[in-house]
Amino acid sequence: MVSDSITHNAPIASAPNSRDFSKKKRTNRSAKLKQCKLDVRREQWLSQVGAVKSKCCKEDQNGARKERARSLENLRRRDEDNSNDSGSMHHDSDSESPSNSPTNSLLCGNSGTNPGTNFIGSSSSSSSVSGSSGGGCCSGSITEEEEEDGCLDDWEAVADALAADDDNNKQEPEHDRSCSQSPSESQLSVQSDSLHELANGLSLDSVKSMPDGARMVPSVSENNRRAWRPDDAFRPQSLPNLAKQRSFPAADRHFGQGGVPWACNNVLAAPSSCPICYEDLDYTDSSFLPCLCGFRLCLFCHKRILEEDGRCPGCRKPYEHDQVESEAIVQGGSMTFRLARSCSMIARS
Amino acid sequence: MVRVVVDMNSGGGGSGVGGTSTSSWVSTTSVSASGKRIQREMAELNMDPPQDCSAGPKGDNLYNWVATIIGPAGTPYQGGIFFLDITFPTDYPFKPPKVAFLTRIYHCNVDSAGNVNLDILKDSWSPALTITKVLLAVRSMFTNPSLHNPIVPGIAHLYLEDKAKHDQLAAEWTLRFAK
Repeated sequence: MVSDSITHNAPIASAPNSRDFSKKKRTNRSAKLKQCKLDVRREQWLSQVGAVKSKCCKEDQNGARKERARSLENLRRRDEDNSNDSGSMHHDSDSESPSNSPTNSLLCGNSGTNPGTNFIGSSSSSSSVSGSSGGGCCSGSITEEEEEDGCLDDWEAVADALAADDDNNKQEPEHDRSCSQSPSESQLSVQSDSLHELANGLSLDSVKSMPDGARMVPSVSENNRRAWRPDDAFRPQSLPNLAKQRSFPAADRHFGQGGVPWACNNVLAAPSSCPICYEDLDYTDSSFLPCLCGFRLCLFCHKRILEEDGRCPGCRKPYEHDQVESEAIVQGGSMTFRLARSCSMIARS
Repeated sequence: MVRVVVDMNSGGGGSGVGGTSTSSWVSTTSVSASGKRIQREMAELNMDPPQDCSAGPKGDNLYNWVATIIGPAGTPYQGGIFFLDITFPTDYPFKPPKVAFLTRIYHCNVDSAGNVNLDILKDSWSPALTITKVLLAVRSMFTNPSLHNPIVPGIAHLYLEDKAKHDQLAAEWTLRFAK
């Protein structure tokens, strides 16, 4: 139970990080290449689903699960665009961080699909033994996680590639993606979304069933997927702003996973330039808090002061030697993250 | 990164040997950094000058300033214009500026050579202090002389024993040297 909740939580926490980290070095071209790979995977998956449907065989399902999870990741990303595009209510209204958008879209996709496939999904998860089902769930989330770290994290670039690819794929069959969700359905998705966000043991069952159901969704509509333009009126505010993030190139490389909320909190209070040398503080500098008195300065000046009298310019107290408490916090964050990952591995085996 | 490039360029003429490049890198860093800092302080001083004070570079040299402080009202230094010489070290602001009176003054914290006995110009210096704050500290010295560690003990002694006599002498000096 506990390990499961951690596993479900971990990708959500790490998602914005890895996304931001990769965003700056991704190019549209590489995204297109990835899209080609994804298309191949999706086709593989579709054929596998067909096989599963005909056989109703559990072993095959478990074997294909990983592959499926991957292609579903792909679908989910498209889903995300679609759900944004259709201007679904809860997406626009909620002020969540973009980290939750995968979950959101996932649930949205679930509610938007036809009941037949949905039934297959839930029946497969319920008919299998509970232990193996848990294992499957774990492996699924791990795959997600790796995908996030790997090639799929730059979903905006992927979406751009999709938009470019859109014209070519017009002839593909349009599936039943109903934009008009009933209010109760969207309400339900919001509720389960918040439950998922909490990811406590109580809501675990519903949480587990929902992604599973979503995983079984064969494919959502191919049309209507495009990236949001920055000046789009319907663009959700929770989407990250690329231009803003590019101005902090070194941001997430230094803080790794789990450090972002902490960094965001402190950046707002930091001065824009070093009070000692008047050089502009970069992202690292402004996240650097060497003294408890709160006096901030750039790393150059801090090093310089340490070489000489080693006292804080703000309070004139000597700097403590473990001044890099910030990095310790970050390391702790990534350590807990890794722990969660290894726990999920144990639970799987 | 920019800082590094600039320093490499300026330090290239000084040392051609690879082994000494590290030390020259450090020293040239401080020069360029202190220059920027002093320029910014000059701009801020012109934007928002402290009361009764003014300061600026003496000539072309950014590291050599002259400052004036007008004697605050209610003190024996009232109405006097006191000139100070400010010399910034190359490793400013990590080292305090040298401040000395050019105008003679009868004060227990200023010796006959014009050296100022202020703690923030010595051990209590902090890189976060600016020349504006130094000038304000010197100005507050006029109203509240630090009698506990005077550089001229005789004047401090007179101040404690006979303040009227001290004030009279100080006013005389002000009239003689600072007007």
